Amino acid sequence: MTREYTCIMCPNGCLIETEYDPAPASEGAPVIRSVSGNLCPRGAEYVLQELTDPRRTIATSIPVTGGELPLASVRLTAPIPKDRIMDAMAEIRRYKVTAPVQAGTVVIHDIFGLGSDVIVTKTVEAIEPSGKTE
Amino acid sequence: MIERRSVDALIVGGGPAGLAAAVGLWNNGIHDILIVEREKHLGGILRQCIHDGFGLTQFGMTLSGPEYARKYIDDVVRMGIPFITNTTVLSVSPSRIVTVASPDGMIRYEAKAVILTMGCRERTRGALAIPGERPTGVFTAGVAQAYINLYNRMPAREVIILGSGDIGMIMARRLTLEGAHVQAVFEVMPYPAGLPRNVEQCLNDYNIPLYLSHTATKIHGSDRLTGVTISEVDADMKPIPGTEKDYSCDTLILSVGLIPENELSLEAGVKLDPHTRGAYVDEHYMTNIDGIFAAGNVLHVHDLVDYVSLEAERLAAYAASYIKNGSLPPCPLPVECGEHVGHVLPQRISGTSDIQVSLRVREPLQNCRIVVMQDGLEVFSRRMRKAIPAEMIQLNIPASKLSSQGGLTVMAVCENE
Amino acid sequence: MQKLYDVVVIGAGVVGSAVARELSRYKLDIAVLEKNLDVCFETSSRNTGVCHGGFAYDPGSLKARLCVEGNKMMGQLSEELGFAFKRCGKVLVGNTDVEYNQLLRVMEQGKANGATGLRMIDEDELHRLVPAVVGKFALFSENSGILDPSMFTIALAENAAHNGAEYFFDNEVTDIRREADGIWIITTLQGQFGTRWVINAAGLGCGKISDMLGLTGYRIIGSKDDYIILDRRLGHLVPMPIYTVPSNTYMGIHVTITTDGNVLLGPTAEDTDDLSYYGVEQRNLDYLYEEAVKIWPHVSRGDYIRTYSGILPKWIDENGKIQDFKIEIIDDVAPCAVNLVGIESPGLTASVAIARYAISMMLEREEFTPNPSFDPIRKPIPRFEQLSPEEQAQLIRKDPNYGELICRCEKVTRAEILQAIRNPLGCATMASIKYRTRSMMGRCQGGYCQMRISRMLEEENGIPETELVYMRKGGHPFFGKVREANKCDLEVAK
Repeated sequence: MTREYTCIMCPNGCLIETEYDPAPASEGAPVIRSVSGNLCPRGAEYVLQELTDPRRTIATSIPVTGGELPLASVRLTAPIPKDRIMDAMAEIRRYKVTAPVQAGTVVIHDIFGLGSDVIVTKTVEAIEPSGKTE
Repeated sequence: MIERRSVDALIVGGGPAGLAAAVGLWNNGIHDILIVEREKHLGGILRQCIHDGFGLTQFGMTLSGPEYARKYIDDVVRMGIPFITNTTVLSVSPSRIVTVASPDGMIRYEAKAVILTMGCRERTRGALAIPGERPTGVFTAGVAQAYINLYNRMPAREVIILGSGDIGMIMARRLTLEGAHVQAVFEVMPYPAGLPRNVEQCLNDYNIPLYLSHTATKIHGSDRLTGVTISEVDADMKPIPGTEKDYSCDTLILSVGLIPENELSLEAGVKLDPHTRGAYVDEHYMTNIDGIFAAGNVLHVHDLVDYVSLEAERLAAYAASYIKNGSLPPCPLPVECGEHVGHVLPQRISGTSDIQVSLRVREPLQNCRIVVMQDGLEVFSRRMRKAIPAEMIQLNIPASKLSSQGGLTVMAVCENE
Repeated sequence: MQKLYDVVVIGAGVVGSAVARELSRYKLDIAVLEKNLDVCFETSSRNTGVCHGGFAYDPGSLKARLCVEGNKMMGQLSEELGFAFKRCGKVLVGNTDVEYNQLLRVMEQGKANGATGLRMIDEDELHRLVPAVVGKFALFSENSGILDPSMFTIALAENAAHNGAEYFFDNEVTDIRREADGIWIITTLQGQFGTRWVINAAGLGCGKISDMLGLTGYRIIGSKDDYIILDRRLGHLVPMPIYTVPSNTYMGIHVTITTDGNVLLGPTAEDTDDLSYYGVEQRNLDYLYEEAVKIWPHVSRGDYIRTYSGILPKWIDENGKIQDFKIEIIDDVAPCAVNLVGIESPGLTASVAIARYAISMMLEREEFTPNPSFDPIRKPIPRFEQLSPEEQAQLIRKDPNYGELICRCEKVTRAEILQAIRNPLGCATMASIKYRTRSMMGRCQGGYCQMRISRMLEEENGIPETELVYMRKGGHPFFGKVREANKCDLEVAK
C-alpha cells in the first residue's frame, strides 16, 4: 500500500510518501518498503510511528488558586497515543494548583502509565494579599 | 518636568525579539541596556502560546511558548540586564529620544541605539470589511487565544474559523480540546496560509475540514453571532454567486494575517516597505533612521519564533558595534524582489560583508531555485523541492559571492519556465 | 409604580437626551426610558457626525430653522458639555455647469434659511482648503463642522443625570395609556412609570410610540446608511467634510472626517422597512469605494478599519415624499404628550434646538419653575493622548492609573476606562466604554485591549463573566470559564 504523510516532527512539514505492507490481522508491525520526500531521517521514524502507534502531545491549563494569573499552562513531556488525548484532557481537568507554582512542576507523573508527565510550563506567583483575584 | 535619562540601548518590547536582542547586546559587551515592556511580565505573545513546538532550532527541543520565553528571561535575569515592565513607550523621536509612561511616572530616555521589537498585530474583520451585522462572537485567533489561555474565559462553543493562519489552526485544536465544536476552517487562497504540520496535527488529527478557496461573505446576528455565510471564490478571490452556504455558529475566529506593529516606528520617521509592512532595513537591521534598528515580527512576520530570536541576535551584534563606534559601514546597494518573491530583506546591503537574506515566495512552488542576481549576474542560488508562502526562506550569502557594485534581485525560478 | 414623574422622555438618543438636559433646567422629576443598555446605541451614534450649516433644507421648514439654530449653539454646547466639536467648514464639490448652478441654488436656499458663511470658491481656493480633493469648484460652508456624535449624546445625558434626570435602560416601552386623572401610565418590559408629561423621542421607534399615544397615521420608513471607517493615518488629507453636489433626494456620498481624525466614507441611503437590521452589504461597500475614490483618490482598502450602518427614521407621506420634522402637541387627542416624529438628519445638529422648541410648546401650556441648582457643565474625561507630555506626567503623578495604557492604538489609560465605567449613567456594556474613551476603536479594533477592558468591567460591576455584555442585550462574549478550581478534585502536590 502507499500513503502520504505530512511530517510534524519539525516545521519543514515534509510531504512523505511511503510504500508498506500492512500488519497482519493478528499482530505485528507493518513492513515499510520505501519512504521518500523526507528531508531528514526523522521523517522515516515519523512514518513508522504513524503506521504503528501514532502519538501526539497536548497543551492546556489548570486553574491556580491565589495566583497572579488564573491559569497555569501545562503540557505533556512526551507524546501519548492519539486515541488517549481526550482521556488525558479529562484527567488533567481534575487538577488545580495553589500559587506559587513553578514551571517544571509535575502535575501528573506518568499519565496512564504511558511514559509521559504533565508538567507546568509557566511560573505563577502568588498574589499579594491585597491584590485582586479571579 | 519629565525626568531625563540616557542609555546605550533601549529595546522597545520584551517579547522574543527584544529578549534575544538584549541578551545579544550583553554578550557583545553592551551592558547599559533597558528593555521596556508594557505588560506586567516579559515574554510577549509567547505567554499565551501554550502549545509546544518552539525551540527546535534554538535549543534542540520542543518547548511551549512560556518555556521558550523563560529561557531568555532567565538569561536576562542572570546577566542582570535592566528591564521595566508595565511601562508603555509613548513615542520614539528621530533623534532617539524615547518617552515612556508607567504608573510610576514618565521618563525620557536618550538612547544611543533604539531597538524596535514591538511584534505584530492581527488583521481584523474591519480590515477585511466582511459584510453583514456586527454581533458579539467574532474574535481574532489571538484574542480567543488570550481569553482561553491567559484570562480563563471561554468565548466559543460552536465555531467557524476563517483563515488558515497558524494561530487559527492552533486555536482550532485548542478550542476542540476545551470542548468547543469547530465545524470547519475556510481559507480564501487555494493553499493553506499556515504550515503543513499544523494542517496535519491541528486540523486533520481532530477531523476538522479545511476548505480552500472559500471566504465569509456575510455575518449574521444582532446580539450574539448566529451564523456565517460562506462562499466559494474564483481565481481572483471574488465570491462566486450561487455558492453561498449558511453555517450556524456562535463564534467566528479570524486568522487572516498579521501586520507588523509599526505605529511608533512611523512617528520616529522610519520608512516602511509596503511588501513586509515593516521597516526598510540594511544588512545591519538598521532602519533609514540612524541608530534605530528593528527585528522580529515588527520587521516582517516570521513563521517560527526561533528565527525571530536568531534575527534579533544578529541585530544585536551590529547594534553593539554601532554603539561602540558610532556608525556602521554604508549599505548603498538595494535588494529587490524578483519573480515569485513576495518580500525580501534586508532591502539595502554593503556588498562587502556576509549577509543573510530572508524572503517569502508569493505562491506555492515546486522544484524551483531561489536565485540571487547582482547586476544581471547570478551570484547565489538554492534549489528547493518545494517553497510555500507559509515558510520564510533564509539564505546565507558570503561576502565572497558579492560585489560592492550593483543592486541585488532575489527571485524564484521554476524548472518548467 | 412608586413615583409620579413630571416628565417621561421615551428614547435616550441625542434628541431624548437633549430634551432631558434642557428640561433639567426646571424643577421637574424627569425619567428617561431607553430600550437599549446605554444612550446612543442607534441612530445618534451611527451617522456622519457632521454639524450641518442648514442650507440643504426647504426654506420655512423646521429642519432648516432648527438646523441653523442648532449649528449656532454648537460651540457653546461643546464648551459646556466637553465633547469634541470643530467648526472646520465643509465643501460641496462640483465639476460641471449644471452642478455649478445647482450649488448656486443650494447657496441661495441656505441664505434664505439664515445660514451664513456660504460662498462659491474656485479650484485654486478649493485646493488650498482641501488639497487632496478632485473638483473644479465648490460651495464652501464655513460654519459647518464636525462633532463626536456619541460623546455629544453621552454628554447631554450625563449632564441631564447630573441635574437630576433618572435614566432607565433596558426599558422598552410596550404600552402607553392615559388614566382618567390625566396621568400617563407607561409600561415597559421592566415595569410601569407614571407621569404627567410624556415625550416621544424614540427615533426609529417614533411611529410605534406615536401610535401608542393615539397619534396615529404616521408612516415611518428607514433610510439605511452604510459607512466605511478608514485609518487615522489619512486624517490630515481631509481637513473638512467633502460632499458632492446634492440631488433633490440624496445628499450623495461624502468623504468626511471624525473629530478623532478617522476618515469616513458614506452614506449609501437605501430605503428599508426593517428598522433594526444593521448589516452592511457588499455591494454598498463596493459602491462607496468607487464613488469616494472619484472625489478623493486616497481611498485604499488597506486602510479600512471597520464598517458600520445607521438608519434614519423618515416620515413620508402617501406618495413616499419625505416630510419635515413633526413636533406637536395635539391637546384634544393626547394632552401633555410631545410627539417628535421623523427626526432624521439634521437631527444631530438640531437636537438641542429641537429640545428647546418642544419645551417652548410645553411652556405654552404649563409654567415650569426654574431649577436654581442647574449646572450646565459636564466635565469630560481627560484624554491622555491629547495632552502634552508635561500634562501627561502631571496626570500620572495625580493618578497613577493614567500611567497604565490599556488601549495602545488610541493610547487610552486605565484611569480613563475607570472613569468611563463609573459614569453617572452607569456602565452595562463594553461598547459604553468604547464610546466614552475610544478604546477598541483603533486600528487593532480591541485586539490588544478588549481582554483587559472586559476584566475591568466584570470587576467594577461585580458580575460573573457570563453576564458581561458587549453591546446588545444577549450579546455575551463568554460562555463561562475555561477552568474552575472548585470543580477540580485533585490538587497538584508540590
